[in-house]
Amino acid sequence: MTSKILHLIGGDADIGTSKTFWIGFVIAVILFALYPTQVSEFRASNVSYYLLNIPLALGMALLWGYCGVLSFGHVAYFGIAGYTYGIIAGNMAGNSFGPIAGVLGGLLASALVAGIFAYFVFYSRVREWIIPILTLVLTLLLETFLGQTAGYQWRVGSVLLGGYNGMTGIPAFQIGSFVFMGYSFYYFCMVIVLACYVGLRMLLNSKFGQVVTAIREDPLRTEIFGYDIRARQWLVFVLSALLAAISGLLYVQWGNYITPSQVGLLSAALPVIWAAVGGRTSLLAVLIATIVLNWVTFTLSSQGNQYAMVIIGAALVITMLFFPRGIVIMLAEWIGKVTNRKNSGAAT
Amino acid sequence: MKNDNKSDQPAKESTTEEATGIVDPKITRRTFLKGSAAVSAGAMAPMYLAGISKSFAAKSGAVKIGHIEDLSGNLAVYGVQKDHAAQLAVSEINAGLTLKGGPVGSGGLGAMSNHATSAPVMGNGDKDLKVVDDGGKLSASGMAFVEDEDVLVDSGESGILGREVELLNTDGQSNNNIWQQLTKKLIQEDKVDCLVAGFTSAEREAIRPIVDQFKQLYIYTNQYEGGVADSNTFCTGAICEQQVIPVVDYMIQKFGPRVYTIAADYNFGQLTAAWTRAFAPQVGGEIIGEEFVPLSVSDFTTSIAKVQAAKPDWVFTLLVGSNQSNYYPQAAATGLKYPMASTVNMAQGYEHRRFKAPSLNRMYNCVNYIEEVPTARNRAFVKRWYKMFPDDPYIGQMAQNTYFSIHMYAKAARIAGTTDQEEVKRALESGLHIEAPEGTVFMEPSTHHCSHYIRLATADADHNVSFVREWPSIQPWWLQRLGVNLVKHKEYKQYIPDEDPFFKS
Amino acid sequence: METDALALSLTYQFGTNAAFLFLAALGLIVILGMMNIINLAHGELMMMGAYVATITHNQLGLPFPLAVIVSFFAVAVFGAILELLIVRRFYGRELGALVVTWGISLILGQGTLLVFGPFMPAIKIPGGSYSYGGFSYSAYWLILIAISIALIAGLYWLYRYTNYGLQARATMQNAEMAKALGVPTNRVYLLTFSLGAGLAGLSGALLAPTSTIAPFMGQQFVAPAFITVVVGGAANVISGAVGSSVLLSAIKTPIGMAYGAFLGTVALLIASLIIIRIMPDGISAAIQKLMDRRRTRKTK
Repeated sequence: MTSKILHLIGGDADIGTSKTFWIGFVIAVILFALYPTQVSEFRASNVSYYLLNIPLALGMALLWGYCGVLSFGHVAYFGIAGYTYGIIAGNMAGNSFGPIAGVLGGLLASALVAGIFAYFVFYSRVREWIIPILTLVLTLLLETFLGQTAGYQWRVGSVLLGGYNGMTGIPAFQIGSFVFMGYSFYYFCMVIVLACYVGLRMLLNSKFGQVVTAIREDPLRTEIFGYDIRARQWLVFVLSALLAAISGLLYVQWGNYITPSQVGLLSAALPVIWAAVGGRTSLLAVLIATIVLNWVTFTLSSQGNQYAMVIIGAALVITMLFFPRGIVIMLAEWIGKVTNRKNSGAAT
Repeated sequence: MKNDNKSDQPAKESTTEEATGIVDPKITRRTFLKGSAAVSAGAMAPMYLAGISKSFAAKSGAVKIGHIEDLSGNLAVYGVQKDHAAQLAVSEINAGLTLKGGPVGSGGLGAMSNHATSAPVMGNGDKDLKVVDDGGKLSASGMAFVEDEDVLVDSGESGILGREVELLNTDGQSNNNIWQQLTKKLIQEDKVDCLVAGFTSAEREAIRPIVDQFKQLYIYTNQYEGGVADSNTFCTGAICEQQVIPVVDYMIQKFGPRVYTIAADYNFGQLTAAWTRAFAPQVGGEIIGEEFVPLSVSDFTTSIAKVQAAKPDWVFTLLVGSNQSNYYPQAAATGLKYPMASTVNMAQGYEHRRFKAPSLNRMYNCVNYIEEVPTARNRAFVKRWYKMFPDDPYIGQMAQNTYFSIHMYAKAARIAGTTDQEEVKRALESGLHIEAPEGTVFMEPSTHHCSHYIRLATADADHNVSFVREWPSIQPWWLQRLGVNLVKHKEYKQYIPDEDPFFKS
Repeated sequence: METDALALSLTYQFGTNAAFLFLAALGLIVILGMMNIINLAHGELMMMGAYVATITHNQLGLPFPLAVIVSFFAVAVFGAILELLIVRRFYGRELGALVVTWGISLILGQGTLLVFGPFMPAIKIPGGSYSYGGFSYSAYWLILIAISIALIAGLYWLYRYTNYGLQARATMQNAEMAKALGVPTNRVYLLTFSLGAGLAGLSGALLAPTSTIAPFMGQQFVAPAFITVVVGGAANVISGAVGSSVLLSAIKTPIGMAYGAFLGTVALLIASLIIIRIMPDGISAAIQKLMDRRRTRKTK
């Protein structure tokens, strides 16, 4: 049983299968765990922002990298979860079960919308290249709607949707009387990110994961083998929407705030870019790229540098020109090659 | 609002070691206020605080002013102006200069808040409301009041309390998430003494919870829809009651009662339209049509046809952002010749300079500042600005607000005798006035908003700006009417018109 | 209000809305529709066209029609350079192209802001206005409608009757086969991308007088452009784009007039979702199917 689980985690659905890799992985996790003890609460909170985007990015990797379906509108599920959490937890303010109810409600609402939408898309066999645009239209629709919800008529219970200015005063997450803020929120994010990563790795190493990858490689062939590809695509879509929802929930718990621009065109492009830069066919690569790109963006902007956007744009172009499959993946392969050569050199 | 009283946060308690000067600053300020108690705002002699604070120069290290504006991205047009305004103000403070002004104290505008639970103005809580007067009589020179020629004077020290002022300016990239991160960085890591930031209301609402969590002194310098009642936030831009009512009143008198409103479909547009809806009947007007346009729309053919179908006497345009300013050239090309009024255009995005005449012919706009303000003190300000930034295209309303706000902060810190944030907040609540380029600005203590010198500017067929009416001081009275008194009761929320029975028709 | 005046005004609004959608989509029809490059820099190419037109017209004093033509060629040349240096490596890797064009759009947008500042002086809208029965009509929008029709005809001719058109269609259908048959596919790609960029520049220049000339002005066109092209479908991109801009405008105009701009926008978005659901291959495929059926019926 244990060996089976270990096999599922360590399988080759993602880069890094060697012993050295896993030692490195554990060291990295320990370093992340020790980080808050060395820095101010602000730094920790800032890194938790990088971390909380990871589930969304992993969802992109799962859907796009492993299943071959690109969604340009996964921020819609991010937003739906965030807003639903705000409504439920805000209405139950003071009740310590409010945040938990909000989390469940947020996940459910996202899954529901994603489920209905994905049913339309996959069961009507929409052409693959149209899916990004369909998802984009959905998220723009959501943005247009939310943008005009200023005023009292858009009140759910005691919570105002808030229009373009957004929903404010969203409660932080709490279990019992323990409120997750600052350092504790950092660890909360870290645990969730780790769980998402390991869970997804297990999923992708399972038989289900292999079928999903087969769909990406050749949908027709997979179908002829007798697999219902529509059901699997549907399931992967909903799963990735749930991952986006997790990010959305963490986001509102982090900033206590959400606006319609969170589901707009600019935000919609970001997860796609994280996935593409890191290398969408590897969960770990996407994870690393998400952290690095968020860090670079913030560092540039905190220096009041007008060239920030130009630098980020140039970095994207250069990355895609010279590392077409993703910079992290290609670096990992290069490292793998070098160490292999050394090992074989030592053996002879 | 949550988080404001979380005990596990490093709340900034007033530290007494900062006030190790010769005299206790609190006592000084109170005595000072008493001394000026009888002086009223209009007749007051300029009272700037040269020298007073020298004795408190105890703490070393720079005074840090955190500044966030959008230097890149869609909103950079406004952000860069405001960034330059902050640089200009800080360089002047460090060069030993200050704008005239000082505490007006009790007896001055709005100073009742020090004594009353809620400020006794404008019939509280009912539907009975008096509307503003029609402004002062114009003198022969076109000016209602004669003003000082130069308002920038020697402060008697370089920097604030003998400490140099350091401006930490950052770029929000027109992205709310980055705004939140930068706010946390400036407060937690750089420990700024004062935060000056915010263009859109969305940006302000994104960072205000963080500001409240750390009890950070925060100055929001933009014109906006009004209603923020926050003990840590001071709003120095003009708000609806200062802009909408005067211009609607004037337009109805001049052009007729039938009003068509076309507004951006988000908070600012909707709330300003609500003000118009509520007040037009008070001055004999009637809203015959109203359309809200999503921010993404840039083709106005249908909206223009709807205006024509309604046949109004004039059009109230509350359009925001560069997409939506397309309305003006498109309407002009379609031959739409109705007079227009607005509270946002010209003074912010200098549409009268950018669009070819006569797109903005007969556009009327109530502003608290516009580069063309024809006073000597403003000409001196404009000259100083272009000396420092010769390539700038325009000085907008918000840039002026940022400029005087930073000077106002410096003044408040000198009154407080310390940069301790709670003390400076108290000083800002002392009934402070400052001689800004626009005219006299008064920080109304109970609402943390400013009275402004409002001018009705209009553009002609060649886009020349002239001023048809002016109101030397319009109070930010709406929050007072709602019973807000931040001096006595801490609050951390934004009111919207629905909360006032007057707006429920 | 007389009914005929209202009907005329609605027709005019329908025409301008359709022309706006078509012009916004013009460059993308070629680049996304034919080459399958998800070009997120589409808006910035339109912005470049508007800037070139503004500079040549306002500062160099070129007459506006000439300035528009200059913008077409200037942006086409820029497109060619872009293709040679960057886009070339991304054929068949649509999603890599997506990230690269996003990067390019960031550089172009912010770069323009840094070089030219936040705004350019506007171009005066050429032509006057006509009025009838309480409504008035902009002459320039009438010209734009006419130009759109001319552009449709021109594109149709180019792809139907020229040698380049034949080669392009062959390459897009099956690049390997075309290459084997001696079509210089590399050159075809270069020309097609450059044509698409040039057309984006052209429509940017044409729409410049109706718009604020600013570094990020292109963003307003991106969403309508993508929706128009996708609703149109890939079977025949030109007829598809025409069909979808006409259909979407026919939905948006009456709803916008009756219920306001917000519901007009929402109706446009929902209609596009429904159309794609009913016609997964877009309008052009539906048109083609219809024509095929008619043809087979005739032969019977």
